[in-house]
Amino acid sequence: MKNDTPKVFKSIFALFVVAIFMIGLFYAFVSMPKGWGVNVNNRVSRLYILKNVRTATKWLNSGKFFAKGMKPLRAEVPYKPIKFKKTANLEDGAANVVTSIVVDYRGFDTLGEVTVLFLAASGVMMLLFGKRVKPKRKKTEPSLIMYVGTRIAFAVIFLFGIYIFVHGHLTPGGGFPGGAVIASGILGLFLGRNGYSPNHAGLKVFESLSGIAFVIIGLIGLFSVKSFLANFLPTGIIGNLYSAGFISLIYIAIGMKVGSELAAVVDSMIGDTKEEWS
Amino acid sequence: MIIYVATIVVIVIIITSLIAVFSKKLLSSIISMGLVSLGVSGLFFFLQAPDVAITEAAIGAGLSTAIFVIALKKVKKGETKDEE
Repeated sequence: MKNDTPKVFKSIFALFVVAIFMIGLFYAFVSMPKGWGVNVNNRVSRLYILKNVRTATKWLNSGKFFAKGMKPLRAEVPYKPIKFKKTANLEDGAANVVTSIVVDYRGFDTLGEVTVLFLAASGVMMLLFGKRVKPKRKKTEPSLIMYVGTRIAFAVIFLFGIYIFVHGHLTPGGGFPGGAVIASGILGLFLGRNGYSPNHAGLKVFESLSGIAFVIIGLIGLFSVKSFLANFLPTGIIGNLYSAGFISLIYIAIGMKVGSELAAVVDSMIGDTKEEWS
Repeated sequence: MIIYVATIVVIVIIITSLIAVFSKKLLSSIISMGLVSLGVSGLFFFLQAPDVAITEAAIGAGLSTAIFVIALKKVKKGETKDEE
């Protein structure tokens, strides 16, 4: 074959690039600075530490566990109640404890979760890939009430989804349910009109940009606080909208990513494509 | 009070899941699966896990049911094409 040699060169070049990338990643992983001189794996909530008083006092007296800028616990470890809208400068100022675990303490886990969802969505799109064709049989046209009603409902549902993921650190909810709510609103738009199709490439670009934003926020943490996905913003007063540092930023990124991803999945499921397999 | 509501929800979950397994029609199986998700999300809410409840209601009862219905529609279309 004529085109055989360039193909081999191409694949060797691709392998080379991947190898360089992997070596660089391994080197970065090995030489990664340990944040604050603290083992990140041991870093759990202060209230959790309080359950075991002896360990807490020991760690506190050694001055090893808690960060320098943080307000230290008193030596006798009393229970200091946290008051809504009053207490400031907590270790992690999220009023919703689940969010502070999911995004702050176990942020890398959430990154992996988002990656799993991305792989699932790209698998669906790969299976249903093909040229768009018009359906042979004419579909039943939805009535005017359906058309107008879904459009009005979409505005409300979209707003509710945005509310869920912007208030993720204050009220129950977060990026994943918010994105799912937005995607179900877009599903309503599909039901309202035949031949409705959102901009598929735009959805993909939006999704990738918000995924990149997540990683970039993590990298900012790596370079400013010296730990990947560490909180680099002030935590503020608990209960305020501008509190809990970077949690709301990450949840906005996750919400946009999940919403556009699931909307793209619904789009590729609902559209008729010409089969290019088999 | 809440224990009775939770018991009713559990009974509904069991009945709908039995319908989902043993029903002859695929469409009624799918819809009863959506009902199972709805009941499970209510149960999560009773068990003080509102985050999981919201996620289950949005994904389990909303999106996955719709996606299953769309897939069923597509599969049926292919079957009729083969018969013609």
